[in-house]
Amino acid sequence: MLRRLLSSLELKLSHSNNMARDTRFNRRAAPFLQLLCTESTCFQHQITQRGFKTSQTNYDLMDFFDDKKNWGETSIRTGRPWKLDELRIKSNSDLHKLWFILLKERNMLLTMEAESKRECQLFPNPERVDKVEDSLKNLETVVRERNRAFSRLETGTTGERPGSEEENFLGLEEYRQHDEYSVPKSQNKPYLLAKKDEPQPTQKEKFWFITRWRRKQLYEQRRDLRRHQYEVIQLLQKFPDLDVDALKDKYPDVNVDAYIDRFWNNKVQGNRKSNH
Amino acid sequence: MRFSVRLYCSVTKRIGELTKQYANLPEKYIERATEQVEWKTPNRINYLPRTVKKQPWQFRFTTNRPWSDEFRRQNEGFVRRPVFVEPIKEWMIYRGDRVEVLVGRDRGKQGIVSQVIQERNWVIVAGLNTHHRRMGARKDYPGMIIKSEAPLLVTTQVALVDPSDNKLTKVEWRYTEDGERVRVSLRTGRIIPVPHAAEETMDYKSRKAYVETDKDTPAAVVEAITYEPKLKTFEMEIMEEMGIKEDRVPKKTYWY
Repeated sequence: MLRRLLSSLELKLSHSNNMARDTRFNRRAAPFLQLLCTESTCFQHQITQRGFKTSQTNYDLMDFFDDKKNWGETSIRTGRPWKLDELRIKSNSDLHKLWFILLKERNMLLTMEAESKRECQLFPNPERVDKVEDSLKNLETVVRERNRAFSRLETGTTGERPGSEEENFLGLEEYRQHDEYSVPKSQNKPYLLAKKDEPQPTQKEKFWFITRWRRKQLYEQRRDLRRHQYEVIQLLQKFPDLDVDALKDKYPDVNVDAYIDRFWNNKVQGNRKSNH
Repeated sequence: MRFSVRLYCSVTKRIGELTKQYANLPEKYIERATEQVEWKTPNRINYLPRTVKKQPWQFRFTTNRPWSDEFRRQNEGFVRRPVFVEPIKEWMIYRGDRVEVLVGRDRGKQGIVSQVIQERNWVIVAGLNTHHRRMGARKDYPGMIIKSEAPLLVTTQVALVDPSDNKLTKVEWRYTEDGERVRVSLRTGRIIPVPHAAEETMDYKSRKAYVETDKDTPAAVVEAITYEPKLKTFEMEIMEEMGIKEDRVPKKTYWY
């Protein structure tokens, strides 16, 4: 069904786009290699003027789908995502090109995933989506690093969206990202009106909330501690020659020595008779 | 703000490093493939973000790998009683190591480690500590009998073999003068190198044997240094390269 749909789609497009298709390159054997393997710079490629499109080959909407030879495959092997250190040595224009290569790949993968789901077929190697997203995230980190360095040098600030730690209506410290306005706060009537409508609890009400919130946190903390204590007891009873240092490393919040005394050295803590 | 240590905030934290290395998968994917979400609130304003799912401590790790379908089926339904796994400071036994079995009917026999299951402190020794199981038995078909290896505990049930005299030994991690971390036999003082099979993953046997696929960037291109530091932002450099000129001065704005 998928194939029939695609082939009919392609036919229609090829009729309407005959002129553009004549000038195209060979069917893509290795789109990334074509883009990447040139001598002068890494990702330099021939830019053909075809409207807004700058890629070598023209598949129109078929760019959203995988290569036909991969259809119906049970596994498609790929390498690992780009690491931060590998991206740090690439020039800005290389990163710009790589971003769009990765973005197109992600679009293709998500389209194939949705299409496979619709057709009740297997989408091979779904970890490819995560790999591409990892690469995209790393690339964005590197670009932000460079921009921040420039801004620090020129203006002394990061140049990113400002924000501050503020107390919210519950009385909790919270980081809030600031918004951009064309007028200062005192002249911004809609903003001030909206601010006026916000709940303004009294100090007493804030304390009411915070005591309960802290109590909830304490309960969670105690629940975790009790779970860890139980595990330490079980481990000490089940493994008589256990590595104590490893146990202490794993459960830093539990007093392991007390349990060792109780379970290994037979020093029972409770019901101990006093000497005096 | 949390005061105590969260040991089990995600499943991936319970999965061993060696297992992740063997999988050669992004951690995000392992998390996504392993978690069993029963119900999640829609991403709309009238819902609080709530997820009902199997908690990390409720999973039981077995010889099936956490991202596999078998693991999912094994962990479906009711929660089994927890298994207590002895904490280990430093992992000693890797895939491809020669070990001696200390318990069971194969006691005293030596074999090669074929699989490491770090979550349970297990190793599987090829061809040793086996049992027979009948597969695919039906009314009209007696089924097939296959031999399968049972896992062994690294702490008490197997011991590493010193390659110099083929006898079992205790080992320790030490550093050479070059700063390299090596395993040293405590009995003979010899270095026991970590076998090449330890770097095997689902995708390749060794790094050198990896075959590049169509979409992989060649190593030479990845290693090429093309970055030249300039006093420009990313956007400024790209705009200059594309011949985009921007002379307009933005109006003053206020952030609050």
